[in-house]
Amino acid sequence: MRLLHLLSAVLLFPSALTSFVAAADTPESVQLDNDYDESLLLKTLPGNSVLASFRFVSNGTFNDHHHTVFPRSLAQILEHSNARELHLKFSLGRWDAEQWGAQIWDGHTGGGTGVELWAWVEADDDAAADKRWTTLTNALSGLFCASLNFIDSTRTIRPVLSFQPEGHHANPDRLHLLHGGLPREPVCTENLTPFLKLLPCKGRAGISSLLDGHRLFDAQWQTMSIDVKPVCNSDGSQCRLQVVQTVDMVLDVERSLQRRDSPVPKPRPLDQLNCDPTRSYGSGDNCFPQSNLADLPWSLSEIFGRPLHGSCPLGTTDVCVVAPADRQVFASQASAEIKTGDKRCYTLPQKSDFDLLLPRQSPPLPIEVTPPPLYASRSFTGHGQERGGVQAVIRNPSPTETVKMIYLESLPWFMKPYLHTLKTTIPNSLVDLYYRPNLDRQRGAHLEAALEIPPNSTLTLTYDFDKSVLRYTEYPPDANRGFDIAPAVITTDKGYQIRTTSLLLNLPTPDFSMPYNTIILSSTVMALAFGSVFNLLVRRLVGAEEVPLRGQKLRGLVAKIKRLGEGKRKAE
Amino acid sequence: MALPRPLRSTALLRFLPLLSSICILIGVAWLLLLPLDEYSRNTYISENALLPGGVHTYFHGSEQNVFRAYRHEVAALGQQNASTNEVAQVIGDIFKGQGLKVGTQKFKYEAGGRVYEGENVYAVLEAPRGDATEAVVLAAPWLNTDEVLNESGVALVMALARYFKRWSLWSKDVIFLITSDARAGPQAWVDAYHDTHTPPMVESLPVTSGALQGVIVLDYPTAAPWDRIHIVYDGTNGQLPNLDLFNTAVHIAGNQMGVRTSLQELHGHTDSYEDRLRTMLRGMVNQGLGHATGPHSVFIPYHIDAITLQVSGFGNHDEVTMGRIVESLFRSLNNLLEHFHQSFFFYLLLGSKKFVSIGTYLPSAMLIAVNFTIMAIGLWLKSGTKPKTVDAAVAITEKPSDEKNEKKDTEEKEKKDTTSDSSPLPPSSPHLESPRPLLLPLLFLLLTHTLSTIPLLLFNTLPHTLLCPAFTIFSLLSLCLPLLLSFTLHLFSPTPQVYTLLRCFSLLSLGLFLSALATLNFSLSFLIGLGAVPVTFIKPTKCKLVAVLQHLVLAVANPMVALVGVAVYMGEPLGTVLGEAQVGWEINGLWTAVVVWGVWWPAWVVAGVGAWGGGRMVEN
Repeated sequence: MRLLHLLSAVLLFPSALTSFVAAADTPESVQLDNDYDESLLLKTLPGNSVLASFRFVSNGTFNDHHHTVFPRSLAQILEHSNARELHLKFSLGRWDAEQWGAQIWDGHTGGGTGVELWAWVEADDDAAADKRWTTLTNALSGLFCASLNFIDSTRTIRPVLSFQPEGHHANPDRLHLLHGGLPREPVCTENLTPFLKLLPCKGRAGISSLLDGHRLFDAQWQTMSIDVKPVCNSDGSQCRLQVVQTVDMVLDVERSLQRRDSPVPKPRPLDQLNCDPTRSYGSGDNCFPQSNLADLPWSLSEIFGRPLHGSCPLGTTDVCVVAPADRQVFASQASAEIKTGDKRCYTLPQKSDFDLLLPRQSPPLPIEVTPPPLYASRSFTGHGQERGGVQAVIRNPSPTETVKMIYLESLPWFMKPYLHTLKTTIPNSLVDLYYRPNLDRQRGAHLEAALEIPPNSTLTLTYDFDKSVLRYTEYPPDANRGFDIAPAVITTDKGYQIRTTSLLLNLPTPDFSMPYNTIILSSTVMALAFGSVFNLLVRRLVGAEEVPLRGQKLRGLVAKIKRLGEGKRKAE
Repeated sequence: MALPRPLRSTALLRFLPLLSSICILIGVAWLLLLPLDEYSRNTYISENALLPGGVHTYFHGSEQNVFRAYRHEVAALGQQNASTNEVAQVIGDIFKGQGLKVGTQKFKYEAGGRVYEGENVYAVLEAPRGDATEAVVLAAPWLNTDEVLNESGVALVMALARYFKRWSLWSKDVIFLITSDARAGPQAWVDAYHDTHTPPMVESLPVTSGALQGVIVLDYPTAAPWDRIHIVYDGTNGQLPNLDLFNTAVHIAGNQMGVRTSLQELHGHTDSYEDRLRTMLRGMVNQGLGHATGPHSVFIPYHIDAITLQVSGFGNHDEVTMGRIVESLFRSLNNLLEHFHQSFFFYLLLGSKKFVSIGTYLPSAMLIAVNFTIMAIGLWLKSGTKPKTVDAAVAITEKPSDEKNEKKDTEEKEKKDTTSDSSPLPPSSPHLESPRPLLLPLLFLLLTHTLSTIPLLLFNTLPHTLLCPAFTIFSLLSLCLPLLLSFTLHLFSPTPQVYTLLRCFSLLSLGLFLSALATLNFSLSFLIGLGAVPVTFIKPTKCKLVAVLQHLVLAVANPMVALVGVAVYMGEPLGTVLGEAQVGWEINGLWTAVVVWGVWWPAWVVAGVGAWGGGRMVEN
């Protein structure tokens, strides 16, 4: 129930209405009666941003080839690879915790930049688990049009402390947790399409009809996640396989609206600028722009580019808006509003389009955000191509509570950390440490540190590393861009998850036109040098007076042959 | 010595000085040929991703009104003589109003008893959908290199920040940086960005982004219309930004906006041989001095390509043109998929569209450096051969009082002088190897190199008011030092072989160092090599006239005179130049002083000892 408590704090809604949200997130109170539920939560954020969180929950059955709303393609993959629980995240951008506060769903839907995948695979031993993991990544790669098949042994780790299974498992001892990430994977529409195909209404009705690639991928921050786990009701009598698909995004209202007017942000006409009348500087051709004058107006059809096409007939649909209580919200006529505090929920019309409109609000209403339990950032220190350092700055904003957390770092094999340089600025904050060193070209380093951060303090974790020199065929085509390092995952003891941004590691990079030059040059040198050196070594240099001796010998030989020939002729 | 006999031939030894001279002559002539069409190339964009000038620019219309308002704000702050803290506050608030993440950074440096402090303010425009792995910087110092208020530059950065915020296309974060001065501020910021700073003198940055890919600095201190853009590109320690960045700026200004560009303060470049040569030489002097020529210079040692755009002249371009050039430049930088790497990092620019690449110009500095090495090899061979007549050798080393021998000796000497450094042996004489006394020359060389730490420490730590007097005293002492050292050396009764070996090692180290330096900082290697040329030819002599000439040459060609020459060239008092060098050492990490005092100066001292050596040997 801890989770539930935190959740309601985050979203600021009363417990009476939490059922549909909490049900999906907490296995204890899971609702298994419905085959399919979908919900959309819109939340105004400071800085004229809107958080849109789409959530689709489908319940399937075990060991049964009768799939109703549970995506069959996914079920088959899971069955084939013996994966019992699966979490797959596609993310873009970064969550601005300073401005937007704590992440929705305790950060469980947000993955690291790019693609992140972890799963509990049932197998007898590690080798079998690895094999099934490979099967799983390859199959998912095909299903989601992502390069998941590149999650090989060098990118796979087995986290010890950070992740715990969320579902109810029959035999947890046989489960193996494997985790891999592709920080460089660009998430785009080709990943959205298969994602929508998994939904029963396939983006044609219900809230999924709002998901348009152009708007989704113009978001400041955006994540798509798929979580599959077995869930049982409280007495364990009924168990179902549940897939929760979420799409969370933060839209910049100003930019979304501007796109409506013109695809290019051309300068506005002077009369549309909000100039500060107190600063005129004595002439009319100046304009000191005023900022933060109003909460901009927006509607569903404006920020998503299309209205909501009715509800999905296969399940229940909820649409809720969290906005300051004083802000007006208008909905389409055919719907009913249920208002509780600053949360308003709407029933959707079956067939007709549904739209929401939040008019302009001036002066802007203050929006309260819940601070996250931790703020985290990570960066490289130092410069040069030989060595470097990593610095993670983690801040606990709470004035009273000590936060226990686990810091997980999964590094590529060519980044070789020195564990003895691992330092924290707060003494005795490092409680536990799990470290598995890297092996060249086989596996990366895996570091998990259990840390404690006292209230109102900032912890800086640093360590140094060496950079390897790769073989020249091991570089990607854009070698000079650098190598992306997967985000660190921070899990607090209350289950909140934060991911840092990914990093760009510059390795010593050869000039790739150089091999060609070197080959030509060295071939030329070899040819010239070899010729002359061979000549010097093999040829015997003799004085001029010594020459006739050998000449005579040769001449004698020739004469002998001649004589022989003559003798033969004579004989004839 | 395992050299084959023919190589030890004295005929070849006799030619070595000539070979050295030829190397020097070719080296200098080579450089003078570079501006010709046959040896230089037209610049081109090597990185296809840049697509310079391939976009429409929209920074105009009402954006100009916003710019004017910001300029009024900046000018008002400038008139009030607002403190750096107030400035950072006001600018930070404007950035915050635009919805950007703002950070400030206080810094304080001390160099030569003077304090350089201020406060940088910067804002990060986080790329929508970006992952904070890469960033580009648009910077403007509050006070430019001439300590003038960068009125339009700062205002333009703020106006562009507001304008850039509205675009969704950024693939990299854009950082808008206003530093409080043109030298210490950028250094403090870039050091802190890479966590190589020294807190608490330089504060850490509260907000950071990803790896910096490029930096454009605006130096636009006027509100008046301007005529052309002066691009400054030299980095500290003679490092240069990738040529693609420079080319992109020239291409966008010239081809897209129709703005002329100039460089190395040579306005009205006519593309004649003289103008090209002048541009190249000015570039070489800047590179050789290795000083920070603008706020961009300090980024380059971190492998971040950076240039400064300065406006110059009076013409018909205004802030909108500048804004559009910057917009187009950032759109090009935004296109970059990889770090700048395609084009040249080592080049000499002859004009905004002509350059010489390292392969073409490097031989010139190498030839100068090789001259020292050739001479050193010659001296080594010479030191290993015994003189033909025993009495001649005795005459030089042990029995100089013998009148007959002395006469013979002077004859020998004259002969030697005419053939420069030839061996006293006739070519057909049998070659005898003699053991070389290595300890004394090596120890002596070590001593002179150790002594070179004195000027290095002296000029980098003294308060700036004492720099000029200290320099005068040091110069006078330096001139006397060879004589003093010569006396000291004489206590160990050195043979001529010791002098030969001493010169050999000194030249060898000089040659080695300069040839290695030529690949890093071509101009410094070339200029020092040129200044040290007399060192090759100075040797112990008993001819009074030659000795006097040698002393005169050494008195002219030395690091101290070179420093005075730099002061004259820059049109600044000597104290300022020394102060600048000190600040460069303390703040920017300049290595030029190490090369001048640690490489050239000891070589010059050893040459001076050699010049005194001849006279002392006669006295014996």
